[in-house]
Amino acid sequence: MMMFCFTSIRSFPKLWKNNPYLGGGPGHSYNSLFLKDYYGIRNQQKLFSLKTASPQNTKAVSLLAAKARYRRKGDEGSNKVSSEFPHLFAAGAAKKRSQMNPQSKDHALPPERNIIQLPTKPLNSEQWDKLKEDFKGKADFENWIISQMIRQSSSVDVAKSLLAWVATKNNGIVSYNLLVKYLYLCVFHKQTSEVFDVYEIMKARYKSLESGGSTLLIRGLIHSDRWREALLLLEDMKKVMTPSIKNYNDCIQGALLHQDVNIAWNLYQELLGHNLIPMMETLKAFFDFGKDIKDDQYSNKLLDILLYLRNNKLYPGESFAHSIKTWFESVPGEQWKGQFTTIQKSGQCLGCGKTIESIHLSPEEYEFLKRKIMSDVIDGGDQYKKTTPQELTRFQNFVKYCPPFDIVLDGLNVAKMFPKARESQVLLDVVSQLAKQNLRVLVLGRKHMIMPSARWRKDEMEKVQKQASCFFADNISEDDPFLLYATLHSGNHCKFITKDLLRDHKACLPDAKTQRLFFKWQQGHQLAIISRCPGSKITFQDILSYDTVVQTTGDSWHIPYDEDLLERCSYEVPTRWLCLHQKT
Amino acid sequence: MPVFLKMGISITFIRPFARVLVPFTLNRKRRVLHSTILQGYMSSKIPAMYYSKKESTSPEQLQLDGWKITMKSSVQEGVSADSEDPVTATRELIEMWRLLGREVPEHISEEELKTVMECVSKSSKKKYLKYLYVKEKMKKAKQIKKEMKAAAKAKAKDQVLETTQEDKQQNFLFLRLWDRQMDIAMGWKGVQAMQFGQPLVFDMAYDDYMKSKELQNTVSQLLESEGWNRRDVDPFHIYFCNLKIDSPFHRMFIKRYGKKWNKLLFTATEKSHVDLFPKDSIIYLTADSPNVMTTFKHDKIYIVGSFVDKNMQPGISLAKAKRLNLATECLPLDKYLQWDIGTKNLTLDQITRILLCLKNTGSWEEALKFVPKRKHTGYLEISQHSQEFANREKKSKTVNSFPKGSLNIYKQKR
Repeated sequence: MMMFCFTSIRSFPKLWKNNPYLGGGPGHSYNSLFLKDYYGIRNQQKLFSLKTASPQNTKAVSLLAAKARYRRKGDEGSNKVSSEFPHLFAAGAAKKRSQMNPQSKDHALPPERNIIQLPTKPLNSEQWDKLKEDFKGKADFENWIISQMIRQSSSVDVAKSLLAWVATKNNGIVSYNLLVKYLYLCVFHKQTSEVFDVYEIMKARYKSLESGGSTLLIRGLIHSDRWREALLLLEDMKKVMTPSIKNYNDCIQGALLHQDVNIAWNLYQELLGHNLIPMMETLKAFFDFGKDIKDDQYSNKLLDILLYLRNNKLYPGESFAHSIKTWFESVPGEQWKGQFTTIQKSGQCLGCGKTIESIHLSPEEYEFLKRKIMSDVIDGGDQYKKTTPQELTRFQNFVKYCPPFDIVLDGLNVAKMFPKARESQVLLDVVSQLAKQNLRVLVLGRKHMIMPSARWRKDEMEKVQKQASCFFADNISEDDPFLLYATLHSGNHCKFITKDLLRDHKACLPDAKTQRLFFKWQQGHQLAIISRCPGSKITFQDILSYDTVVQTTGDSWHIPYDEDLLERCSYEVPTRWLCLHQKT
Repeated sequence: MPVFLKMGISITFIRPFARVLVPFTLNRKRRVLHSTILQGYMSSKIPAMYYSKKESTSPEQLQLDGWKITMKSSVQEGVSADSEDPVTATRELIEMWRLLGREVPEHISEEELKTVMECVSKSSKKKYLKYLYVKEKMKKAKQIKKEMKAAAKAKAKDQVLETTQEDKQQNFLFLRLWDRQMDIAMGWKGVQAMQFGQPLVFDMAYDDYMKSKELQNTVSQLLESEGWNRRDVDPFHIYFCNLKIDSPFHRMFIKRYGKKWNKLLFTATEKSHVDLFPKDSIIYLTADSPNVMTTFKHDKIYIVGSFVDKNMQPGISLAKAKRLNLATECLPLDKYLQWDIGTKNLTLDQITRILLCLKNTGSWEEALKFVPKRKHTGYLEISQHSQEFANREKKSKTVNSFPKGSLNIYKQKR
């Protein structure tokens, strides 16, 4: 029964992906229920797609996934606080936020196609002719049918009979795109001999290949003993454009498969030289291969890869993390021990108790970032874009003559947090609560806030101004850049409060390195308000005290990694870690 | 390309197979890499036979492989022509892409090829090639249409010649010189506008912010704006301010207008609009402005930035206005229209037509007809009260509208 179900739904990759979640759940029985009715295959597909598209179902599925994740967390006895409000930058938090205010978007159903039953056995010419007559569509029949075959991964023989039929009709000529699609099927079904044949045909007929064909050939050749020809194909590609990371990945995998380590490393260096970011599979392949090699030079190169991950703030996936762990544990004489764990809020690894690197920037980095924020985010080549020179000098003087602040507050962002409450009331609540803790507060806002109105009461704003220093920018100026600068100017202890993720300001920074620096600083200094009802005491989300990055102390490694089932946004960081340490 | 979508899956399947294959192939002699066709063919035949023996799925197997032999034997060109030259290599790549059904042009000139090679990234190459492809397609379609039209015309002419043999004597009042008459009339109106018309300024100081493509679009839009203005009952006196001689803008104008450039009835100047007009009567139109335009004022000078912004750089025109301390306004699009998609930035010709319409009728509903229909879902209901208010305003305007000469004060000041 289940087998039947799987074959009929292969064309819905989404369901494939979700299947592991469904196991044993209520959704499972639901699906099989439909299967008991003896619908035709087409009807079933329709029902399936409807089921997957409905928002309730996807929500249930993701809820299950989330549950599984937290259960796992609970098992290991980690802090449970974060389960209610995941940290602003924790992996999956954006997804969770978006689920809190659901906007059901119905996915459009795939359009009805004219369906021809794809042949399962090779056909002869008459049968193909007949099939072509049945086909009614705008597209070219041969092209269409081979695309369908690719979609359903038909067997090579069927495709070959199609090509033979085309060739007999066409004086023995098969067009290039049919050939490439056939090649795809051959590569997919690992028919190496067929790949060789197509390669010979292509070499004979065409002076050069294009990138799609070359990519397929490379992929097909690397597993055979003619894998070196894949390198030649790569050379050919380089003449016109930089090969893709997938091409490099294939070639490196091929070289490793045939024990040619030097070529693999050279290709890897070349890949980095093109400023491409290697695929995780490539890096994983090096680690997987390293298990069988006992060579210091090779080990050092693997450590270099880890440093590369660190410098570029990349995180390995779950299976890659397993490979890293296996490799470390296979190093002879060093007795590495690895475990998968989480980090406590205090920044201590649950596995070994070591403290993870602090989130704070070094003094040089701090100065650098401050300068960059001033020159690129606030000034940006044209001071009039975000503010005016007069305002800028007014602000700079204001900051200069004030003693350093402890908290810088984005007045408008905080005040607008609770749509039902009055803005000035919320602002006053937050400010007075902070002032009670003897913190020096700076409130940034716009001038319209001090114009008395129903939403901004004069008396409340006056109270705010008594308890905190205030700076009001022009109504058409942007206040966020001032927030950043004031916080940076006050020093490392100063925090800022806003719920804004500040992505647009991060984007103003010139290069990826500065952006990573900014992000690190932001993680360490941004407070977000998490309490939901305005009457209660306002609570803030804790700031991470540690930096989520691949790191080492010589005899230990800590490597954050992405879980397979969790979607992570670019501005979020993983929560799971691989802890490796040497037994002494 | 649906072909490559499943690549990620395929690799996991290939690997176990390859492991099986390796011991089988390793003990054979390693081949020279540059194998000739024959060698390659022979060697490739061996595993193929091995495969067919082992699997032997159908009796048709031998027949199925037949096409390969013809494909291999019919060598088109010498394989020895191994192109080291990147130019020819690129050309060949484009040709192969075309065979694959990608969106690339059939014919490509040397100059275009050079542009392709200068593109920094792969995606920019593809984008440019697609642009050329679409351009080529349009050109072809136009050509076909032209031929069809010419054929139809010739046919019609024959018919007319056959039928109208008799009575050519007819009485006409005018000769058929309508186009020329219209041109002359528009010329007269244009001269009047030059003397007494309300200024409308296009600020040309944005050439640094635009790439050549955007610059071209801007010039096209300006040409169209000028055309719409010329045809209007009461044209603006158009100024192109900050138009530097020999700047890309200037060169492109001369290219597009040709000899007419010096006979056009508008003012092109290198000076800035703040030098030509009193600062307090200038209103800079920009979508970023916090102030909403309520009525069209006949004594103000409206400035439109000639700027096509495809890179999403918000706030540039507002920054310009802020720098010179000018009043800014934006069109009340949200007030009158149920906005749907698209930016609030309108094209220059749309702005010109809206302003012309406002100038003549003063009605926002009428004027905002020129906002593209795809961008909004319809007009918003306006309450009775505001409707009346608008009517009153309109009436008062018609009573004491400005006499035309009063606008001339700016000229006298200069």
